[in-house]
Amino acid sequence: MQFSPKPPLSPSVRKSLTLIYHFAERESKARYKRSVLGWFWSFLNPLVTVAVYWFVFGAVYRAVPPDTANGNAENFGLYLFTGLIIWTLFTGLVDGSMEWLSSVSDLRKKIYFPTETALLGGAASNLVQTSLEVAVLVVIMAALSNIGWTFVFLPVAMALALGFGLGLGFIVSVLNARYRDIKYLVRILLNVAFFAVPIVYTPELLEKEEIPEIVRLAVEWNPVALFIEISRDATYFLQVPLWNRFLVALAWSLVTFTSGWIFFRRRSMSISEEP
Amino acid sequence: MTVGAIRVDAVSKRFRLERNRPSSLKEAILRMGRTRDTDEFWGLQDINLEIASGSFFGLIGHNGSGKSTLLRLMAGIHRPTLGTVTATGRLAALLELGTGFHPDLTGRENVYLNGAMLGLTRRQMTVSMDEIIDFSGIGDFVDEPVKIYSSGMYVRLGFAVAVNVDPDILLIDEVMAVGDEEFQRKCLKHMDMLRANGTTVVLVSHSTDLMVECHEVGWLDHGRLVKVGAADDVVEAYLASVDMTDNTLQTRS
Repeated sequence: MQFSPKPPLSPSVRKSLTLIYHFAERESKARYKRSVLGWFWSFLNPLVTVAVYWFVFGAVYRAVPPDTANGNAENFGLYLFTGLIIWTLFTGLVDGSMEWLSSVSDLRKKIYFPTETALLGGAASNLVQTSLEVAVLVVIMAALSNIGWTFVFLPVAMALALGFGLGLGFIVSVLNARYRDIKYLVRILLNVAFFAVPIVYTPELLEKEEIPEIVRLAVEWNPVALFIEISRDATYFLQVPLWNRFLVALAWSLVTFTSGWIFFRRRSMSISEEP
Repeated sequence: MTVGAIRVDAVSKRFRLERNRPSSLKEAILRMGRTRDTDEFWGLQDINLEIASGSFFGLIGHNGSGKSTLLRLMAGIHRPTLGTVTATGRLAALLELGTGFHPDLTGRENVYLNGAMLGLTRRQMTVSMDEIIDFSGIGDFVDEPVKIYSSGMYVRLGFAVAVNVDPDILLIDEVMAVGDEEFQRKCLKHMDMLRANGTTVVLVSHSTDLMVECHEVGWLDHGRLVKVGAADDVVEAYLASVDMTDNTLQTRS
């Protein structure tokens, strides 16, 4: 059998890309396979989440969101949605990484392949899901005529969250392969972290006497909060994200991704030797 | 190094046998401060081996002598503790039942996934798909998840992929024994074709019939390479040593 013409990419890069594509496809198929509603589920999940939070915090607790760029002040659901898109992407990566790695660990004991492709493939499938949610957001915002060129910063926020989430995912997935109860711990921490990020409340709500300065700073400058603020600036307030916010977010994302990658590359070979 | 050649250079592999190794964080914390009960075991010791491109190489030895470990090192699944293993070219490995198959995917999806792991694109796999299905003889089952396959079907599909992706190196660990007589014959016939194509084949088997077909045979004993050389000589020496232990056992009883 002869294969020609010769591809322009180096064989190992091409092999990795093919594998990433396979793992992404598998993950996307597995997600909604054998369900009558199919891809509709991928819209239903974020919409229901927004609806529930909107009901609890908007309708019951009467949380008042800040004004959108065009002065629409009543829609707490939209305020939630702009934050939840980034949050879901981030948690999906951290939580998913552990699943993606453990789902290929048996395979990896029998055949060699670069293990990180399983995580990158899973991440790609998550990005597709997030893009669908973004499409919904764009349609809604367009209908409310709260749309502008600043939307280009939304993909930037997504990329920053991707780097940070995947970096953490690299680390926790390897740890979870060694200690199988890490995933429960991570899920608990993610539940706590949800409230450390201004999704169901506004950062201004923390500017009170009884809340210590340190808490306010932690909420304002933690990486996921920064990504969310950038995405809100882009799609809700329609303004260019603050440059200092952007730089800190970029540093978080790059440092976490790089250290996660190094850690994973160093430790992932031992996965095939786990008993 | 020429494509298809394998070089094993001063390779040793250590396994750590840890009793009470904590497998969860909870256990690890509860057992903190206690000394761990660790045993070291050298699965392979100071192995030097050169396998020429296009040759058939057999590995024999008793159970637990390190044959499979050596194949795993060649396949890149394990890292050597000491030394280096170099294998150039496309390497396909059939290491045990269900080599590299994901139980939830269908046979066809697994063929694509396997191909990707061997460095072939989807398009290339589509070209050889019919050939693979035909060779495996599993028919319509190819669109069923492989978890419902019989062990024979598993091996047949695995073998069909491995030999039809045009590998430079093929590692086979005692898997052919699972197929039925007809399939085994088909495999042997195909091995001749591989030989003609210049594929390097490393074979682990307890079947001395298969071993004498090889150009060279290596004999492993308790993780050491005792003898390498022409197939007949090494197989003979190995059998003689087995006979000897057999005799001592008989005289003792």
